[in-house]
Amino acid sequence: MECGVLLSIRRLIWVIFFGLLTVNAGAGSRTLVLVVRADSKLVDLDSLAVRKLFLGLPVLVNGSPLHPVRNRSDADLDPIFLQEIVAMSQSAYDRQTLIGVNRQGWLRPTEATSVGELLNQLYADPNAVSFMWLTDVAHNPKVRVIRVLWGD
Amino acid sequence: MGRLINTLRARMIAVVLATHAALVPLLYLGVSTIVQEGYIELFVNPIRSYSRLVADELENASAADFDHHAAELLDSVLLSGQVQFAQIVDGPRTLQGTVATAPFPDNRSDDFRFGDQGDSVYLISHTVKRPGGSVVLRLGFDEGPTLQRVQTAKRRVLAAMLIFTAVSIAVSIWLSAMISRPMRRLREAAQRIARGDVQARIQVHSSISEVQELNHHLEHMRHELVGSNERLMTEMGERAASEAKRLDLERRLLHRERIATIGTLAGGVAHEFNNIMTPILLYSQAALREQTADSRLARDLTRIVAAAQRARNLVQGILTFSREMDAKRAEVFSVRPTIEEALDLLRAIVPANIDISFQAAGWRELRVFGDPSLLHQVVINLCTNSYQAMRPNAGRLWLTLGSVEEAPDGSAANEAGYVLLEVSDTGHGMEPQVLEHIFDPFFTTRDVGEGTGLGLSVVHGIVTSMGGTIAVDSTVGVGTRVRICLPAAQQAVSRGVVDGMHSGG
Repeated sequence: MECGVLLSIRRLIWVIFFGLLTVNAGAGSRTLVLVVRADSKLVDLDSLAVRKLFLGLPVLVNGSPLHPVRNRSDADLDPIFLQEIVAMSQSAYDRQTLIGVNRQGWLRPTEATSVGELLNQLYADPNAVSFMWLTDVAHNPKVRVIRVLWGD
Repeated sequence: MGRLINTLRARMIAVVLATHAALVPLLYLGVSTIVQEGYIELFVNPIRSYSRLVADELENASAADFDHHAAELLDSVLLSGQVQFAQIVDGPRTLQGTVATAPFPDNRSDDFRFGDQGDSVYLISHTVKRPGGSVVLRLGFDEGPTLQRVQTAKRRVLAAMLIFTAVSIAVSIWLSAMISRPMRRLREAAQRIARGDVQARIQVHSSISEVQELNHHLEHMRHELVGSNERLMTEMGERAASEAKRLDLERRLLHRERIATIGTLAGGVAHEFNNIMTPILLYSQAALREQTADSRLARDLTRIVAAAQRARNLVQGILTFSREMDAKRAEVFSVRPTIEEALDLLRAIVPANIDISFQAAGWRELRVFGDPSLLHQVVINLCTNSYQAMRPNAGRLWLTLGSVEEAPDGSAANEAGYVLLEVSDTGHGMEPQVLEHIFDPFFTTRDVGEGTGLGLSVVHGIVTSMGGTIAVDSTVGVGTRVRICLPAAQQAVSRGVVDGMHSGG
């Protein structure tokens, strides 16, 4: 019972926080968030796990592998993705993913070239994890924000 | 100027310059871009990883003494030397390290590309999740050293390109000289050949096979030209000799025809004159026999008979010249005894200051067909002319007898060869215009009464009647040489053949 109350308080805090972020976004700033399907069992991912996930390393949550989806719907997302999520240059990222695929048998993240395509992939897969502008998901009940990745 | 531009060297240099002008800037841009991207990669990749590590470290910092840990972390980051600015923004609060830095630029957004905002700072922000909310880690990295490295690299690339261009131009100049020098020598050789100087061998040394082939072909052409020239010169010489021989033959033919015409005419006149003189001589002799020896008429008749005899001898000479001789005495005889007999006679009448000699070459007996007395007369006439040409001075008269395979004038070959008799003297010689007429009857250079002018005419008639030829060489002040060439005779010659051969006239 106590845990359930604590969880509710925690969720409330997050909602307030994201609400504030949304207000800020509406004022002109941008926020990049990590998202999953609303009913996903995934609660949180630390930055190292996010980094591993988008480099193609297998990341398991409750015994199920997560499926990264790289958002390429906006050209501005690419440099932010490289700098904030995988923390490397484009060529280093390409090299690392290629090494992972060829030597370790990892899988490259799937890619979505539009927000609609990305959302469809998220809706279809409870283990899918992606990143989006907060403005694109603020009022979408089917998608849940689990982490703020970068804020302008 | 135009000629200079059209040279191989100028064109090669122009091509190299044009190629470099087009390619070197592109090459420079390409290489510079690659170098710049390399340096940027070397800058961006580590700072992104580094900033991520710092953010993770901050995220894992204990919540109890967060501010203290944050300050230590910022100091550590600043002391690493890679970070120019570092701060943590926690809502309205900003945490700084204790290490003094330049003031953090206000309202500065993040950089995502090298040199994005032109202030030599690459700013990275990471949102760090904390139990009580989120903080933002902001790190500013100095782009200056990398910019400097990029500029230095670009300058080095530019210098390398310029050196490359200079070396290329120098190589093209050297290469063009390597090609154009032998080409120029080949051109000079071709010009020499065009001027007619084909003797100098063409030897242009070059390592270029095309030039070697050209040299080989040019030398081959020169060699062919030399051969053609030599053949042409030989042909021209042969033609000149042939023409001279033809002219000589023509001259001799004309001379022979002239002599023959004169001979025919003289022979006709001599016949008629002989017919006239015969009754004069016979009747004078008959009348003389009827007179006493001391009568006045007898003396007159004696003078008539003597004059008639002289006239008859004269007529005989003319007939000899015109080859109206008596062929009944012709026979094969040895030449040498006849000549020696004539010389014995001559030595008695020739002055002592004239040295007479005779030399017969070889051991073989030389025989000809004809009247020996006529050959005797030939020798007498020729030697008489010679010693008269030397008078009153001393001199030398010499005769040589030999044999030759072919007649000097190239007339039809005789199986037994030819007998060559040469009579030479050291007399005063004759001028060319005199030589032209020496065989004409009654032509003489002596004073009136000293000669009849029939001596050489008779010689010519005798030699011609024997089927031979006669030629005279004379130089004024040096002497004269008469060459008589008679066909040599076989041992046995039938009389019929003899009569048929030399009875014309």
